[in-house]
Amino acid sequence: MTALPGWLAFDPRGPLRLGSRDFPGRIWTASGCFGYGLDGADLGAPGRGSPFDGLGAVVTKTVTPQARCGNPPPRLWETAHGALNSIGLENVGLARFADEVMPALEASGVPYVASLAATRPAEFGDMARRLAAAAGGAAHWHGVELNLSCPNVAEGGVDFGRDPAMVERCVAAAREHLPARALLAKLTPNVGSIAKLAAAAASGGADGVTAINTLIGMDVDLRTGAPVLPRRRGGYSGPALLPVALARVDEIVQETGLPVVGVGGIATIEDALKFFAVGAVAVQIGTAQMSDPFAAADVAAALAALR
Amino acid sequence: MNMPAAATAPPARRLHGAIAAEVPVSSSMRRLELELEEAVPFQPGQFCMLNLAGEPALVFGRPFSLLAAEGRRLSLLYKVVGRGTARLRDAGVGAPVTCLAPLGRPFPAPDPRPHLLLAGGVGLPPLLAWAERWGRPSDLCCAGGRDGDDLPWGLLGSSWRVSVDRPGALPAGRQAFDGNVVELARSLLPASAPERVVLACGPLPLLRAAATLAAERGWDCLVSVEERMGCGYGVCRGCVVPRASDGGYATACKDGPVFEARGLDWTRFGGGGGT
Repeated sequence: MTALPGWLAFDPRGPLRLGSRDFPGRIWTASGCFGYGLDGADLGAPGRGSPFDGLGAVVTKTVTPQARCGNPPPRLWETAHGALNSIGLENVGLARFADEVMPALEASGVPYVASLAATRPAEFGDMARRLAAAAGGAAHWHGVELNLSCPNVAEGGVDFGRDPAMVERCVAAAREHLPARALLAKLTPNVGSIAKLAAAAASGGADGVTAINTLIGMDVDLRTGAPVLPRRRGGYSGPALLPVALARVDEIVQETGLPVVGVGGIATIEDALKFFAVGAVAVQIGTAQMSDPFAAADVAAALAALR
Repeated sequence: MNMPAAATAPPARRLHGAIAAEVPVSSSMRRLELELEEAVPFQPGQFCMLNLAGEPALVFGRPFSLLAAEGRRLSLLYKVVGRGTARLRDAGVGAPVTCLAPLGRPFPAPDPRPHLLLAGGVGLPPLLAWAERWGRPSDLCCAGGRDGDDLPWGLLGSSWRVSVDRPGALPAGRQAFDGNVVELARSLLPASAPERVVLACGPLPLLRAAATLAAERGWDCLVSVEERMGCGYGVCRGCVVPRASDGGYATACKDGPVFEARGLDWTRFGGGGGT
């Protein structure tokens, strides 16, 4: 595709304002798919610059209050049209993220969004407060994306993200400490009405929502009859998700009108344009970024080249 | 005792290209040659992430140890073990590919101590490349296969000692030890043998046996692990192996694939196959 489609309601080549922040672009990388935004800077390709060129934001690997070593392997399983993962939120923890990762990101100049997960609503507020205190003047820190897919340990073990009231509480807790950063809630598709979750996030003060997180999936090894992942079920991502994600983004836009950052199976400029067509304000490249470090930069370059 | 420093290699580049040749070299092993946009300078032990560029591509590329590079032609050995490798075999000469290379921590260049190379099955390429570049008469090179047909004799020079799990026909003039490759090494190196540095690449049981041999003798041992990979460049945390120091995990793709054997927690090491 070489021409900007005439049917677009806005020019996706331009910058994006979300809340009080101006993002330099609308092609982002998805959480968990490009590390903390610090790996890959030394990678090259003929005729190309850095894998970060043209990106609107890198959404970091999800950070939790304490460091986590993640799940035992195998953690990844490819299917015919997607990938199952059970990484287990392996991460360096909030203290090292604030003390080491954020300064390195600031030095690199990569625009970034910090992905946060917690096991209690109040912890989201506490994490937001600590990040804001540690990096109040950070120029390239554009926002926070709440990963609400973890079990709520304190209140029955049900995922935060499936209960609209809980989504609102988590968002509100973080919003209080983040007046000057964009705040997004990443929504699970594993519910009946995703629009109700989006509306709840908006009630809590979110500037927009990210849709969708992974589907729940599993596969079975026919040699043993056992699940391929040690924890049986995992997150399903990749090309198979695109129509599902597109429908969920459309549902949110149609029913709430909220800003949506679309994610799910996007690998090409054509994929991205489908999300812009249904009203997404930006898109994230996830699984495709894992298989090609230049995937998002390629899409950003292709978008910029549309005339 | 100081371990030799890992050889350095330039950062990886994403290259487009095509399959230039694809030929069987044994009953189970195949040689794949790629013609790429650029030459790939690599160190033995490094790997590439290879994917078919045509529709539909595999969701993830597949990791392959690098065997040789000549000009813009890059060679590797592989076995068909699943859907991805079957797609590669069937793609045919001329099929477009995408290749990210060179990746990972290589085997070190040799120090003055003689080395013991232990290769099993498709773990051969990095050690063939190492022996080709740095091998000396004092190094002992051992390769193991299931049987005589399983081994790529055309690639194994006469300096390679060979073991087979099942006795059977061998090429004229070649001999094979009846047993696995670590048993072969034990038969050639009595307990009083001088110190060697062990380099091992192959299935997990081989790596485990190599690490055990080295630990018994007090020798340094480097193993190249094979794990299911997503990204190959350190971001997805999918290809982890258990680290001894802290109960956590290291990535096979970026922290490895070559590790000091004593740096891994062998009690938690389950390994992961390829596809």
